[in-house]
Amino acid sequence: MVTTQTGSDLAGIAHLLRRAGFGATRDELEAYTAKGYDATVQELLHPSGEPNYLPDDILRRYHHDFQDIRSSVSSASYWIYRMVSTDAPLVEKVALFWHRVFATAANKLIQAKPILSQLDMLREHGMGSFRELLIQLSKDPAMILWLDNQDNHNGAINENYGREILELFSMGAGNYSEEDIKECSRAFTGWSIANMDYMAIKMRNNTARPYGYIDWQFEYKPEDHDNGEKTFLGETGNFSGEDVIDIICKQPATARFISRLLYHSFVADEPPVPQWPLQEAGNPEAIEILMNSYFESNYNIGAMLETLFTSDFFKDESAHFARVKSPVELVVGTLRQAGGFDGPTYDVYASAAACGYMGQALLNPPSVEGWQGGDEWINTGTVVERVNYASDMMGDVTNTGVQAIIARLRRDNEGVSPAAETLVDQCLNLVGPLPLPADTRQGIVDFTTEQGAVDLATPEGEASVAALLQVIVSTREYQLV
Amino acid sequence: MTTDTPVTSSGQFQPSDTIGFCADVGGRGFHLPNAMAIRDDGHLYVISRSSQIHPKGTRIGICDVDHEFYGEFSTRGSGAGEIIAPTGIALDSKNQVYVTDEQTNRVTVFDTDGKYLSHWGERGSEPGQVSGPAGLIFDGDDNLYVSDQWNHRIQKFSPDGNFISSFGEAGTGAGQFDAPWGITIDDTGHLFVADWHNDRVSKFTLDGEPVMSFGEPGREDHQLYRPADVAVGSDGTIYVADWGNQRAKIFDADGNFQQSLRGDAVVTKWGVDYLNANEDELNARTTFDPFVKVDATDPWEESARVEGYFWNPTGIEVDKSGRLFVVEAGRHRFQVYDRA
Repeated sequence: MVTTQTGSDLAGIAHLLRRAGFGATRDELEAYTAKGYDATVQELLHPSGEPNYLPDDILRRYHHDFQDIRSSVSSASYWIYRMVSTDAPLVEKVALFWHRVFATAANKLIQAKPILSQLDMLREHGMGSFRELLIQLSKDPAMILWLDNQDNHNGAINENYGREILELFSMGAGNYSEEDIKECSRAFTGWSIANMDYMAIKMRNNTARPYGYIDWQFEYKPEDHDNGEKTFLGETGNFSGEDVIDIICKQPATARFISRLLYHSFVADEPPVPQWPLQEAGNPEAIEILMNSYFESNYNIGAMLETLFTSDFFKDESAHFARVKSPVELVVGTLRQAGGFDGPTYDVYASAAACGYMGQALLNPPSVEGWQGGDEWINTGTVVERVNYASDMMGDVTNTGVQAIIARLRRDNEGVSPAAETLVDQCLNLVGPLPLPADTRQGIVDFTTEQGAVDLATPEGEASVAALLQVIVSTREYQLV
Repeated sequence: MTTDTPVTSSGQFQPSDTIGFCADVGGRGFHLPNAMAIRDDGHLYVISRSSQIHPKGTRIGICDVDHEFYGEFSTRGSGAGEIIAPTGIALDSKNQVYVTDEQTNRVTVFDTDGKYLSHWGERGSEPGQVSGPAGLIFDGDDNLYVSDQWNHRIQKFSPDGNFISSFGEAGTGAGQFDAPWGITIDDTGHLFVADWHNDRVSKFTLDGEPVMSFGEPGREDHQLYRPADVAVGSDGTIYVADWGNQRAKIFDADGNFQQSLRGDAVVTKWGVDYLNANEDELNARTTFDPFVKVDATDPWEESARVEGYFWNPTGIEVDKSGRLFVVEAGRHRFQVYDRA
């Protein structure tokens, strides 16, 4: 492996920004490097004030369909804007993490706006107390209808939410009994949404008539809540939903499950979640460290992330480029590298759709188990989509990010046409730094040599750089994060 | 259900009707409508902006206040007579229909029955070029004024599209704009501009001299937040589509606040026809509260949850009788108010 970057601080911060965000341009990396690693971690965890992104009013004014609460394509496009343009990338990355865990899909709900509201909730609570996050999740209208809690009645329980909050959202399979699921479900009876009858009919009939869809909101129906005594995970009492969540949060199994989820998403690919009861974590020491952080911080996710980002197991070079980029990481990261959006554009729909073609349709996870990730992101179809998308973006010299790379090359080469080897290393540095195996790098050098001398002052030179960038983002290594 | 939901304040204007129906594939109704123009005989031309997800949704529909639907014209596209992001609409003295398109940077002209006649316009910042043309209105000589939103100016064209003059520039001072949108001309020959990002409405002579402006950013009755459109009645009363506050606001001729409307929609003819044909939905509406109390404080979120409220009021018009029309992009309809 040949390392082409200059300076380990910058490489470490680039690694941090890829995991805690969606990558960074060279200018951004240098600014973060000047602040230092620990300060960058704090800034990511605690962004000052409200995050800046392309303003809602400008987006909604142009994309009137962003107020058509049915369309998942429109809603996914709105999220793409936010992820690409935000100056608080960890907030979005954490929302994406929880979206993958608390997988809720518009294809069942028939409308996507409630999932956007769920994402707002995840932005607000995703790095706070896990207890509060579970309470908010249990009150979330999209989740209620996704897992049928509107049909969970006093005396006639529906176990769907009671089962998944234990199996997929907190403890993991094998750590509770079927009876615990029933008792948990009883505690969430009466947690429903307003105007339930009409909303259910509209959802079932998939109708926007007469005046469009109507967003949902939580409503507690005390007359439908089971106030009887319950025994849950060995404790007995007249438990409410909040009480059950208290019991869940103090379980070591919960600490372990959440730690593995964080490790899986932010450090290294783990086996798919359903295999976890049968397969130990790849790095048990790291999981132990994160579990301790969970309890010591009183279940605070932000504290766990701080522990994670400042740990040796995260910083170690062996963790760099050790995960397969998710489609959203690839699309949003490439868009940010290419310069992002100057303003609203219909091109955003193509980027949202591209995530779907690569296997991660935002707001439409394939099941309640979400996306497993890892090697499952890659197959013969998706890899073509990934390469084509990145290549199209970085091959367009009108994109401001590509222009910025060309401007840097001009500055660094001071009017001289760089040798092919130099130019390749400079571009690898500016796109990453992206380390490549020696034979891959040599192949790109050979390609660049065949293009002939590159005069950076000419349109032909710009096109040559764009072609080189296209080759770089087509490498196996660019698919890793 | 913790927050008292603000409602229409008392005043001269009271709700009289709701006209619309979500028709995202064409036909009787609208899809994401954002502007309206009124013909001499009361026919209403309503833009359905729609989106690329609903290619048959983008068009212009014609109806009247008696719920008669006369048909629709144009479709989504960039060819002659087609539109992609229709934004503003106005009729000239011959009742020809002019439509701006902020995506193609065109003004397209149709006859009063919707037959394509011509189009003009090109993107740029030079005089006569436009960047995101939005509101438009004719003066008494059929000269056309267009709010050129991303050039932050108002441009004046002859009826056939020849540039005459312009005024305004980016900024917050008198005579300056930040993404102007809807415009109108009152009976005294003054031009009013909904100055979106400056959160105000400004009044000019037709030569571009500032006369007055009112509004400041905020959620109070007298304040504005991203005004989308403005209309002026024959008595000088000023009506504002206060998009950011999800309200229609009424001011006197000097810009003093008079009344705030939150939206009072009920299901009327086109919707009733639909519900009568879908008994399960009709039955479910017997327990449905269209004005449910909400637990959000953001007006946009409130409007998403309350069927009767305005959701994204982007167009506002007043007819010769003083009847007020508020076009709501988010609910595929317009609401009608009468002066009590």
